[in-house]
Amino acid sequence: MTAAVEVSGLTKRFGSTTAVNEATFTVEENTIHGLLGRNGAGKTTLMQLITGQDFATSGSIRIFGEHPVENSGVLRRVCFIKESQKYPDDFKPKHVFESAPWFFENWDAELAARLIEDFRLPVNRRIKKLSRGQTSAVGVIVGLASRAPLTFFDEPYLGLDAVARQIFYDRLLEDYAEHPRTIILSTHLIDEVSSLLEHVIVIDDGRIIIDQDSDSLRGSATTVVGTGTAVESFIAGHEVLHLDRIGGLASATIGQLTPAERAAATTAGLELTPVSLQQLIVRRTGLATELEKSA
Amino acid sequence: MTTTTVTELARPSRPTSRIGSVVRLHLVNKASIIGTPLIILGFILLVNVAIWAIIAASVTDASDLADAQEGLQWSGASFYLFIYMMVLGILGVSATFPLALGFSVTRRDFYLGTAATWVLLSVFFGAVFTLLAVVETATGGWGLGGRMFTAVYFGDGVWYQRFLLFTAAFLFFFFFGTVIAAIYSRWRVTGTLVFFGILTVLLVALAFLATVTRSWPEVGNWFVVNGAPGLVAWSLVPTVISAVAGYAVLRRATPRG
Amino acid sequence: MDESRPIFLQIAELIENDIIAGGLAEEEQVPSTNEFAAFHRINPATAGKGVNLLVDDGVLYKKRGIGMFVASGARERLLHKRRDEFRTEFVQPLISEAAKLGLSRSQLIAMIRDDENSIRKDDRA
Repeated sequence: MTAAVEVSGLTKRFGSTTAVNEATFTVEENTIHGLLGRNGAGKTTLMQLITGQDFATSGSIRIFGEHPVENSGVLRRVCFIKESQKYPDDFKPKHVFESAPWFFENWDAELAARLIEDFRLPVNRRIKKLSRGQTSAVGVIVGLASRAPLTFFDEPYLGLDAVARQIFYDRLLEDYAEHPRTIILSTHLIDEVSSLLEHVIVIDDGRIIIDQDSDSLRGSATTVVGTGTAVESFIAGHEVLHLDRIGGLASATIGQLTPAERAAATTAGLELTPVSLQQLIVRRTGLATELEKSA
Repeated sequence: MTTTTVTELARPSRPTSRIGSVVRLHLVNKASIIGTPLIILGFILLVNVAIWAIIAASVTDASDLADAQEGLQWSGASFYLFIYMMVLGILGVSATFPLALGFSVTRRDFYLGTAATWVLLSVFFGAVFTLLAVVETATGGWGLGGRMFTAVYFGDGVWYQRFLLFTAAFLFFFFFGTVIAAIYSRWRVTGTLVFFGILTVLLVALAFLATVTRSWPEVGNWFVVNGAPGLVAWSLVPTVISAVAGYAVLRRATPRG
Repeated sequence: MDESRPIFLQIAELIENDIIAGGLAEEEQVPSTNEFAAFHRINPATAGKGVNLLVDDGVLYKKRGIGMFVASGARERLLHKRRDEFRTEFVQPLISEAAKLGLSRSQLIAMIRDDENSIRKDDRA
């Protein structure tokens, strides 16, 4: 297998803050990766670095085996759709779709036209005057229709309603199935996209804390509920991701259990409930509130 | 760096087309980059023609009229267009740079494409101004003795000298705008303020120097001696400095959200 | 999809269920990986993993260039496997729970019969 992205020891500092801290990971070609994390965790900075839009403080980046910064040969195979993408003031969506094919050699005008219809995007209105969701749609359409071998979507759905988001996910899967490529989807709406993802990278406070197949991650944690004493004696020796108490009851999220351990838990009168990918990541990133609020 | 030649051979790389794409990107919205300035130009010309007509109608004494028309050669009406080009230079870089990088263009290709666009536009508007200057001369100042494109600053050379002067002036304003935008793209408002601060201090210092050494007459003389062709040549110095400085600044700039 | 279990296992189970229920007959072609992916809105690679699991188990087989087909005898083998699982996952816990509650073997059987009769009555009504 070849790597679309190889990052090693990557660090980016802005003054005294470290936005990306010693990140090391590999993205295999022709996969859909999720880059998950809270707002401000370093997702956008990481993608800016990988696409040569920003400069690393230290560490190395290779895309398709080459250094990306100012490398026209390799960058032309990359499309980076940024939530905060700026357009010239006088630009209308039609100008974006007219010029995008000059930069993306795999551009599919038919797909773009279909997506414009799907999203009901007014192509003759100034982008400045579009709603947040319509502006997002411009990016989503460019990202899909460009068919770049390496495509980044950074929170591409802001302002899109549930219907439009579903259109995005459906079209993404459809087109990916027909035209396999490497897609990195950065998001904090984990539940919505988790079934699209083959692999998950979680960044928290600039550090990569999870880099795993999403299917092996699913079911890798269990919540144990029962009386405080029973839960406590059971979880001793396990890695505890989260512990909640209410009255005499306790609820603990711990790592994967062997069948024997599960049997022991049941015998001890404990209730076992599975943990979803989103819950797991919320637990691992430590701070539940924000992700749960946005879900 | 030895490995790059190998990979470049292996993959069909078309850097020239990338630069060409940037030129097309700048020109994709022709309305604001060509249409609007032409409309503004037409409007200014119209207003000026109206003013000249009023002067011609209200000043009846022949010698007074000659005096008035003598004054018209100092018209600065067309300067607005040069400032507009500077604004285009600023916007063309500050607003298109993030989009071009979003389209996976390198800073180098973006800059070369942008510079090529400015050269094209300068030649185009230089030609338009030259044409209008020729018409202005041929019609005796639009039939009213008015002077807009043959104002005294543009010298009194033949048409191709005018063309070179106009084009050089446009180039200067485009690239001066480019430097401002590059500084803004890299260091934001603070950087831009510092830049203008330094520039002001520098100009004031030069003026002070000229005053202290009582060399203002020499300065004036310098302009007279060099004439239009000399000014064209000398204007290339700040233009080229701007162009090089613009790239030096922009090649480490990052589009921010 | 159930978010807490590996999706490829769930895909494999769905195909198995379809074969057991007769929705997919033996020697019939099964939908492609991409069709599964689009229908369930999941990553095609994950769907492929589920399908491949069934190929490894001999439930499906690959015809080069055409697609995946249900192996002959697959339904019977699946039924056999599921019956074994039914015993360990349902019957054995049922018996141990009944013992915990002091239900005798005959009381348990009577309970099952009663419930069966009431379900049949409901069906007739």
